[in-house]
Amino acid sequence: MVMLNRIGCRLNRILLMVPLILREEGASLEELCDALGAEREEVLADLDVLFLCGLPEYGPGDLIDRRIVNDRVYLSMADYFKRPLTITTDEALALIVAGEALVGAGFFEPGGPAGSALKKVREIVAGHSRGSIEEVAQHIDVELGSNPGRWWEVIEEGLERGKDLRLQYYSFSRGEVSSRDVEPLSLVSSYGHWYLLAWCRRAEGRRMFRLDRMMSVEIVDPPGDGRGDDGLEMPEVVAEMKPGRSAHSVKLRFSGKEGRRLLEEWPTAKFTDHDDGTVTITLRTRNLSWLSRYLIRFGDRLEIESPRELKRLVRDTASRLLEVYC
Amino acid sequence: MEKIERLINLTAYLLETARPVTFEQLQRTVYVDASGNEQALHRMFERDKDELREMDIEVRTETLEASGETGYTILRDEYYLPHLELSPAEKVALTMVSRLFLGSGTPFSGPAHSALLKFAFDEKGDVDVDPVPHVHWVGVPRDRRLLEVILDGLTERKDLKFSYRSLGSSEPVWREVSPYGLFNRRGSWYLVGLCHLRREIRSFKLDRVTSDIEVNRKKPHKPDFEVPDSFDLCSETRWEWPGEHSGETVTAQVRFEPRLAFGFSGGGARVEGSQRREDGSVDVTYVVGDPEEFVDWVLEFGAGARILAPSGLVDLITERIRGVLGDGDGNA
Repeated sequence: MVMLNRIGCRLNRILLMVPLILREEGASLEELCDALGAEREEVLADLDVLFLCGLPEYGPGDLIDRRIVNDRVYLSMADYFKRPLTITTDEALALIVAGEALVGAGFFEPGGPAGSALKKVREIVAGHSRGSIEEVAQHIDVELGSNPGRWWEVIEEGLERGKDLRLQYYSFSRGEVSSRDVEPLSLVSSYGHWYLLAWCRRAEGRRMFRLDRMMSVEIVDPPGDGRGDDGLEMPEVVAEMKPGRSAHSVKLRFSGKEGRRLLEEWPTAKFTDHDDGTVTITLRTRNLSWLSRYLIRFGDRLEIESPRELKRLVRDTASRLLEVYC
Repeated sequence: MEKIERLINLTAYLLETARPVTFEQLQRTVYVDASGNEQALHRMFERDKDELREMDIEVRTETLEASGETGYTILRDEYYLPHLELSPAEKVALTMVSRLFLGSGTPFSGPAHSALLKFAFDEKGDVDVDPVPHVHWVGVPRDRRLLEVILDGLTERKDLKFSYRSLGSSEPVWREVSPYGLFNRRGSWYLVGLCHLRREIRSFKLDRVTSDIEVNRKKPHKPDFEVPDSFDLCSETRWEWPGEHSGETVTAQVRFEPRLAFGFSGGGARVEGSQRREDGSVDVTYVVGDPEEFVDWVLEFGAGARILAPSGLVDLITERIRGVLGDGDGNA
């Protein structure tokens, strides 16, 4: 995989954009932005570039024509780009690594449909890939989660059949077990743990539940009605959930870069490197009690600047812990 | 003319042409606005070809029969996405596979996304992929940059340089490594390769890399090393627990209070056995490879979990706790 530079990324996007527009049904600007993960301005700028391109002799009849009517995009004179570029080395590598990971996690049999589909992908790429993609792929190994817990099968069944699940769930942040009815949406692998992303009927929102903190799971049979499966946006939901207005602003100072590990739990945390090598981290959270337990691992490498309440909580937690050991 | 326009025009021309195009023809067309003498233009053309090759667009060279000149072309069979002719089961599988890394914060997410768009191209709505179970991988932004550089080093076979704090040492040391492989265990990424300092194959946990990773920029396009045939990633990763790969482990005992008695596997350690006590609490025996990771994990349970043995781990955990108390007001 070569990190494509800015031009490479842009050319890639343009060569994928043209076939999307040249499909029978055409494309709206909004669809293009969604599909390409690009801003409206970027798409418009790309279309402007296409407008200047074409074939020799670059006369009016040779150049690509672009029209935008009511936010719908039309192209003509670009039929040579009508079919997309073949599967690239980067794409094949990403698919092969993902496929092996899913086989390793038991989603597919090694000789099953994933294997045969990826074989077709491999055959396509074998002809043109730079370097030996097989060799590189062989040397990359991703383990999705080491502890699927005891409830894997019933969760998968709920996901596949679209059934609600009733969880007895231990919440680390509250330190208590509660019962929740949820509509399962997705399995998420993060930092070596499996989570169930689900629509929680009690909280009326999406929540993440760690599989190894489930004490029991059963299928329940209420209506599988409307919920939040429109566009699953993963990264945000793993964070310690959305902080909201009642959240505390936290400012921490670390003696070195180890503080960046906080990003694992709070991807939205902001950090600043200082000249003396220390790192300041700011984040927002509703749950100081869990944060206080989490922070003890940093020992004397951590200084809590604010809030005071957190400082007090950490000291209390640490003192209680020390009593356990002394 | 902007470079992006030039690359699009070059691709279009070489893809559309019925017979290979000579450099002289390119000079009169794609490069007509470019300034410089013939040599400079030729160098520009070579750089453009490299640029296209990095995107998997290969410009082929042929000797023209009539004139004996060199001609250039992009083969349509190579450029265009072939029809994959996937069975419904394969489509479902490939959908799941391409979704795994979407929005994951790894360098795989962008390519997985464009692959998914390409597969959707021949869809005629015959397979409904909506009910296909979603499985997603989520990482952190910090990983992304390091992973991109490592992947670069892996494919181009270039040496990497970074500062690394190994387990049990307080000071980071600069390392030069020939990257052989990359793996993820329990959510942590590891680079495995030949360490020039230790002269042996080692695994490096990305969490312990304390600097950016630099790729050797000398002699681009020329590999710095070959991965020896004897290298086998599986044998490097076949340990059940992390640790500096030395095979040294410790056995630890932890007592969980009754309300936590269900969830005691984790912390990168293997559960060797467990015993429920009369009061409902559970004593669990672990084989631990990475004491730091293990201690961090036990700390998450707060006062609900207590390390009973060995004394080394108890020392490590109390050192952390005292460290926190020692900060600031000095009344440790």
